[in-house]
Amino acid sequence: MTESRRLSMLFIGFLLAAAVIGAGPYLLDTYSVNVLTRSLLYAAVALTVDLLWGYLGILTFGQSVFFAAGAYAAGLVFTHMDFTPGNAALALGLGVGGALLTAAIVGWLAFWHGASALYASVITLVLPIVATQLLYTGGEFTGSSSGLSGFTSFDISMEGWFWLAGGFLVCVTTLAVLFVQSDAGRLLVAVRENEQRCKYLGLDTSRLKITVYLACAVIGAVAGYLYAGYAMVVAPELAGFVFGTELVIWTALGGRGTLLGPVIGTLIVDYESAQLSGDYPFVWQLIIGVVFVLVIVAFPRGLLPVVADVPRRLFRSFLKRPARPVASVRLSTLDPALTQGEAPGDGPALAVEGVARRFGSLTVLDGIDFAARAGELVSLVGPNGAGKTTLMRCIADGAERSSGRIVVNGHDIGRRPPEACVALGVGRKFQMANVFETLTVAQCLQIARVRHARPSLWRRAGELHLPESAMHVIATTGLDRQLGTPAHLLSHGMKQALELAMVLALEPRVLLLDEPTAGLTKTERMQIGAILIDLARRQGLCVLLVEHDLDFVREISSRVIVLHQGRIVLDGSVEEVVNSELVKQVYAGSGHAGIQHQAAGREEVTP
Amino acid sequence: MIAQGLDIVTTAAILYAVATGLLLVFGVMKIINFAHGGLMTLGGYAALVTTQMGLNPWLAIPAAALFGGVAGMAIERFAVRPLYGRPLDAILATWGLSIILGQLITIGFGRGVQFTRSPLEGTLDLLGESYSAWRLALVPIAVVLGLGLTALLQGTRLGLETRAVIMNEDLARGLGINSGLVRFLTFTLGSALAAVAGALITPLSSVDPNMGVPWLVNAFMLVLVSGASLFSLALSCLVLGGAQVLVSTYLSPVLGGLTIAVLAAVLLRIRPQGFARD
Repeated sequence: MTESRRLSMLFIGFLLAAAVIGAGPYLLDTYSVNVLTRSLLYAAVALTVDLLWGYLGILTFGQSVFFAAGAYAAGLVFTHMDFTPGNAALALGLGVGGALLTAAIVGWLAFWHGASALYASVITLVLPIVATQLLYTGGEFTGSSSGLSGFTSFDISMEGWFWLAGGFLVCVTTLAVLFVQSDAGRLLVAVRENEQRCKYLGLDTSRLKITVYLACAVIGAVAGYLYAGYAMVVAPELAGFVFGTELVIWTALGGRGTLLGPVIGTLIVDYESAQLSGDYPFVWQLIIGVVFVLVIVAFPRGLLPVVADVPRRLFRSFLKRPARPVASVRLSTLDPALTQGEAPGDGPALAVEGVARRFGSLTVLDGIDFAARAGELVSLVGPNGAGKTTLMRCIADGAERSSGRIVVNGHDIGRRPPEACVALGVGRKFQMANVFETLTVAQCLQIARVRHARPSLWRRAGELHLPESAMHVIATTGLDRQLGTPAHLLSHGMKQALELAMVLALEPRVLLLDEPTAGLTKTERMQIGAILIDLARRQGLCVLLVEHDLDFVREISSRVIVLHQGRIVLDGSVEEVVNSELVKQVYAGSGHAGIQHQAAGREEVTP
Repeated sequence: MIAQGLDIVTTAAILYAVATGLLLVFGVMKIINFAHGGLMTLGGYAALVTTQMGLNPWLAIPAAALFGGVAGMAIERFAVRPLYGRPLDAILATWGLSIILGQLITIGFGRGVQFTRSPLEGTLDLLGESYSAWRLALVPIAVVLGLGLTALLQGTRLGLETRAVIMNEDLARGLGINSGLVRFLTFTLGSALAAVAGALITPLSSVDPNMGVPWLVNAFMLVLVSGASLFSLALSCLVLGGAQVLVSTYLSPVLGGLTIAVLAAVLLRIRPQGFARD
């Protein structure tokens, strides 16, 4: 689909939804209009649950709190002060401000560097419990367990509230769809799929999560504000864990990661709840519980995709249209003058001084000292367990090493996280191909360029500018013919090439490669070798390579460093290393010792 | 002062009894069993049925274990097993089951608050304080529970296999351990323990269809700060439970109710491994 077609489809959808909302009060009875006004506002909050959970992968139980922040701001201001237009604006400001402050605290707690998904969920679970208890302790001020009621509110008719709530929902839903389909919105999926790769592509994922979380808090607070204005009653249950989980249930039933699914799911379930819970309160809850468990177990994508699939399949069998993904992105080479400014300086591109890494009493690296200049292709060799990958990790993440100093392009990396090391010029390719499995080749490359080209919040770029080195890799490996293919369909070798191209798209000055040729065919290995030599000689990159294949090392390296038991035992030219007796001993000797060690270990296990 | 000391010790014992089942399931299966609260409620109602039938109140404990164990088997087979590999979805599915359990109990027993008979009535004089006998009895019960589980994990073949699955499930499977069976038994045992905990706490308060839910979050936080160790669980119950008692006494009971959750959340932010040793 072309960009203009996508935007016009979205606009048509917006107009249709607006027309439905406009006609609603004329077609529905008063009771339904009244109930649906509430459902429309709930649906806007469910939309934020879907953005966080369905797209970003954060299961949140606490969105109810932001809804309550907006609602209580209105309730408190209108109860304790007079209702004036000025105070109404003040209440909205307080609601949004309170929600932002809460979200910032939660974000600081839940989305720090290294926090697990489970931990983030736990924090969002604690949030509504804390909020409800605080509302209970408020006494007269918050109305404690009975909440606030009987305050004056806007003089708007019931239809007016319906249109206001519906208009708000249609607007936020349209904006949300526009956003998640855009280049910036794709980052959400990338973070959910592979947060580690995002960090090593220089993206500050914690900041991204907090930003989205803050935006969702604002949507929730505005919805809550409208709710208080229309219902003229607020109660602590609005902030509660039960409402928070109900939002998750509606989202799961409708279909996470679809935006429309949660909105429709909320409207249907909440409306039906109001209809049925009067007559069969417990049975209705029971049915919801059973359906919810069934959906989670059997249809994890929710009901909307299941329902939407039926006509799509019928349609397809009529048209027999091949569903071949077409890349809508054209590649072009960046002017070399525009790629990362300064030429390689005189000093070392990478300096490692006295680096050590200890895990408790186990020392994996000790006293590592070396420096490498731009244009050098340094191979790190050594038997398994020598500390090669650990050394790579220490260079790419400031928090890894136990002591010592690492300087990249003249900047001490200190304790900086991976994304900040990328900013200093470090690019790291992992041992196992590490790409975004569900995204296409072109999309993976786009995400690698986000650090340089700020993505649009609502558009999809039609063109992707890549530095010459990345283009070279793409052209020689034939990736340019597979731009529309999802990464998980690529062969192992193609994935390795894609990851290399992604890392090169970062315009690194120091390139860290962990066994880039593992599992590749002879031809692919030759290709990669030629590319690496070209990168070092012509582009002036400092390449650090972990490699087991000594023939390959001999062919391409300008220098070899031998690691053994966490120390550098030799650092010299290829000839020096190849002819060294010491190296032969390290490989043969340690192999022998290793066998003895294993035998001893086996005796320990069987008593 | 002595009353407060007793409060801290008994609170820790109650928390320990409530959280062990959750810890076991979390350790082996790496999922949080949100049905834990519902299973506790089930145990509470098992105690209620025992009372209503005029049986010895001590029988509430085996009855709860039976009900909880059977419910746990069904939950593991139909909801948890298919979600192996989707841990966040397992949280949601078990939460859904908790809703189902709560509604079934409501339909069967009504919404009202009901009371059970305590196995030990009255108070006991200890160090010059007269203190609830049943609260005091919970301390040795929790100790026996902890020692029993430790013996099971450390002293039996099944315990060895369970520990192997906790440490490295893939390797354990490769060595011929039926990890599916270990998971099934763990979940059953964890569910039985949840129900027993429900039966143990009912004499202190009352029974209602949502009684388990408030306990869930605290138990959940205690397990998260404890890792998978029964010993660190005891430690965190004492420390966080103690903090709860102190905050409730000196500041306000409402803030006391929040103490465990908030302290645990902040603790995990500063020290992600919590009370676990590494």
